Amino acid sequence: MASWPAQTKYISHPTTRIDAVPKVTGKAHYSSDIQADGWLYGMILRSKWPAAKISGINLDKARQVPGIQAAVKVRDGEFTVRFYGEELAAVAGTSKQACLDALRAIEVKAEPLPFVVLEDDARKSDAPKVWDGSSNVSPGRPREKGAVDQAFSECAAVIEGFYTTPVQIHHPMETHGNTVSWTDDGLTAWSSTQGISSVRDSFAGALQLDQSKVRVLTDFMGGGFGAKFSAGVEGVLAARLSREAKAPVRLMLTRFDQGLAVGNRPSSFQKIKMGALADGTLHAYDGENYGTAGIGAGGDSGGGGGGADIPMPYLYTVANSRVKQSAVAVNAGSSRAFRAPGHPPASYGMECAMDDLAVKLGMDPVEFRLKNDPNEIRRRELTIGADRFGWKEKYRPPGTSPGPVKVGVGCAGAAWPAGGPNRRTQGEAQINPDGSVEFRLGVQDIGTGTKTVIAVVAAEMLGLKPEQIGVKVGDTRFPPGPGSGGSTTCSSVSPTVYDICAKALEQLQAQSGIADARGENWFAACKKLGVTPLTVSGQWQPGLSSSPAYGVQFAEVAVDTETGLVTVRKVVAVHDCGLIIDTLTLESQINGGVIMGMGYALYEERVMDDLSGVLLNPNFETYKLPGIADVPEIQIVLLNMPERGVIGIGEPATVTTAGAIANAVANAIGARVPGLPITPAKILNALGRAPAPLST
Amino acid sequence: MKAFEYATARSTDGARQLLSDNGAYLAGGNDLLGLLKEYLVSADILVNIKSLPGLNQIERGDKFWTIGALVTVAELEHDAELANAFPGLHDAAAEIASPQIRNVASVGGNLAQHSRCWYFRHRDTVCLKKGGDLCYARHGENRYHSLFTGNDCISPVVSSLATTFAALDATAVVLRNGAETRLGMNALYQKAWTEATAHNSLAPADLILRVEIPTARPRSAYMQVSDKHTFDWALVSCAAAADVVDGKLKQPRVALGSISPVPHQVEAANDFLDGKTLDDDVASQAADQILKGAQPLEHNAYKIPMARALIRRTLLKLKG
Repeated sequence: MASWPAQTKYISHPTTRIDAVPKVTGKAHYSSDIQADGWLYGMILRSKWPAAKISGINLDKARQVPGIQAAVKVRDGEFTVRFYGEELAAVAGTSKQACLDALRAIEVKAEPLPFVVLEDDARKSDAPKVWDGSSNVSPGRPREKGAVDQAFSECAAVIEGFYTTPVQIHHPMETHGNTVSWTDDGLTAWSSTQGISSVRDSFAGALQLDQSKVRVLTDFMGGGFGAKFSAGVEGVLAARLSREAKAPVRLMLTRFDQGLAVGNRPSSFQKIKMGALADGTLHAYDGENYGTAGIGAGGDSGGGGGGADIPMPYLYTVANSRVKQSAVAVNAGSSRAFRAPGHPPASYGMECAMDDLAVKLGMDPVEFRLKNDPNEIRRRELTIGADRFGWKEKYRPPGTSPGPVKVGVGCAGAAWPAGGPNRRTQGEAQINPDGSVEFRLGVQDIGTGTKTVIAVVAAEMLGLKPEQIGVKVGDTRFPPGPGSGGSTTCSSVSPTVYDICAKALEQLQAQSGIADARGENWFAACKKLGVTPLTVSGQWQPGLSSSPAYGVQFAEVAVDTETGLVTVRKVVAVHDCGLIIDTLTLESQINGGVIMGMGYALYEERVMDDLSGVLLNPNFETYKLPGIADVPEIQIVLLNMPERGVIGIGEPATVTTAGAIANAVANAIGARVPGLPITPAKILNALGRAPAPLST
Repeated sequence: MKAFEYATARSTDGARQLLSDNGAYLAGGNDLLGLLKEYLVSADILVNIKSLPGLNQIERGDKFWTIGALVTVAELEHDAELANAFPGLHDAAAEIASPQIRNVASVGGNLAQHSRCWYFRHRDTVCLKKGGDLCYARHGENRYHSLFTGNDCISPVVSSLATTFAALDATAVVLRNGAETRLGMNALYQKAWTEATAHNSLAPADLILRVEIPTARPRSAYMQVSDKHTFDWALVSCAAAADVVDGKLKQPRVALGSISPVPHQVEAANDFLDGKTLDDDVASQAADQILKGAQPLEHNAYKIPMARALIRRTLLKLKG
């Protein structure tokens, strides 16, 4: 079986991204930068009703707006819209302003319907039905292990908590969208996607085209986080506009659009009762959770449904457990897979319960976890992390830090069991007589450094430098690769490149007669190819990658108990991902995961208005994301485990941050803030400082 | 946004003429362009006032300083003498938005900016402030809204310069109907207290020319709390200013932002503080007076303890 080299020059060392210079100089053209010949702007008209029966859409006046070259409806006839922002029609024109004017000229006949946008309202028996004839609340699948009720009576300590997480919106810096050119010859889409193959197939399916007639290109794209696997309504509309206008149409969503209809992480409302025996062994767990995936989970997502269910109980072994979960439909945009679907809310809820129970037991929270965590790697990470963080010196009983600005510490753990490599990943390389080489893989680099990973592995195997490796990805004409979801790209691509290189060296040896074509022999061997380049195909091979990954994070916070302001001072992130390929892009992933987890902990929240049914924060003014001044010192501790092969890190890196911060806040102030995001308002409320509101 | 004409004014008279019936003055444009893009206001013509002579100066005087309306927030932030004379004003300027915005934001524009209420700013809600018949925030998501109001709208003033100017007892000089009118911060925002659709007392053709700040209060301070550490609106802001003679406050003033449609000031509290030696107890008593009568709604009661802490801390900063 194949195995990675024991001594490495590039693998497990830091390599600067091979595309760092074009990225920071603006030479890299992202999907939203594409300017195809004769391109038009495209824009979407969205429902301003949270629920309505649409009986007619008239595009005549829109077509008359100067500059408008095409206008299409999402569908003909009568239909129902079920959330504010659902797509109704689209226009293409020579300027943004022409499109904006045209959208305002479209006439829509609509009969507003009753709606409900908040989870707790939707659960009421008399709530308007999001879907005719079916309950807003899914029946759920209760499951029970052991004898839970009796087990609680045997516990030395029992806690009950209600831990909630909000709907988190996918807000990649580059919004969803494509430039689409659809002619008689076929369809070309420059897509901002994390899955060029799934986008190709969804275009072909939606427009009834041969898959061979659709080409999807993604050279640089600005993030997806699980929401960008499909052509989407916006892609199909762009294609139809292109067909009608006989010109390429660039339809990138506005930031306003982005908040409405292209994905989010479901909310969770977790009622957790948990008990432990006197020796600290977890013994009984009763968890009930409901959350909303909007009108339904998984709308148009090729990357997993992103449903409202979460793994419960998370991570730790409990002999007796009962779990009941349900999804609550509301009139709001559909959820999609979002970076480690289900795990950040699960980690947050369980880890809060763990700390609350440790406090009640009078046990150190790290010791309590070590006792109940069945996973050897994570126990090791807990121990290493506690040492690096200085847990023993820093931990003090909740609320006992002196002064109005209280310091606290917390930790939380992760597991990312999903995925595993895509075993059908393929690729090719063309090796030229002058020694230059180009690798082509039908994957995409979603910002995680996939191109660099390819260069690092190839350089290692061929004895060249990473900058000597040409890398092309993001084209459905290349040998097929996986969608970038489930933290699987690195573990799919690395063994594939390994295989291509192994085969290339074999063939070079055969053709050149040089026993070892690597390194200093490379150019001499290539020269022997004469005038014909060598092309080599390879595919994923077993033995070089695996799953899952774990991870533990520690957080230190300072909470101003008079103003409620939370400052995260430090996060220590201890992570494993098997054999490390590039330490720099790996650390970058973890930094990003921590910062995103911090946004989830302290700032991010979709705010729906129950009276009007609209999204109140469709912008970065009030949908708050961490800025650099909010970001703490992040100390990364990596466990390099070459014997496990390559494992992805994208998702586990963000799972634990919110739980760790929430526990640090509770430790600081001596009170549990019930629910994310932990805002100053919620801190002051949890401390009992805010008076009761006047009745209105 | 709707199409508009664009013209550059070279004199204040010219600006007024160019404005015609449905125009808007354009300086930094941070607020105006957002309003235009969301179709919240419309204008047939934007009159660029950035070339008006004499309005971009900070003039230092013995009795008062004059800040031209076109002085940028960044210039306020980076003027070392100003930071020495009015430390509270420096601190307020430095907290506004982001460096990029501060580089173009003008003092006049900061004072004249409209409501940030997310119902008002939403393209598909017609709230009281937009001429509708309902304040959605009153019964809805009011975490960012006022504790005090004189009408049914609870959208607060968010200009942190206004809060600070109020504490410094500064006066805005406004060109109105061809004549200069002097408006204190109370007067500048008074209309928003009584009328839901107003966010200040300025008529469309009124033009803020400058702000005059008396030097009578050499000690000043400004603090705010936001959800985030930078580039975020204040949940509550507080400014205080006074002279301190023999350890005693002289002519003290305290003003708060983001809790009322006007910079929130309580003259009785200012009177109470006058002549007092600052300590925690005095500051707390002042806070009680300033926040008396607050009307918390479902989601903004936290602003009361937050404001109390800010009043105390800001006042104590005056001790130096």
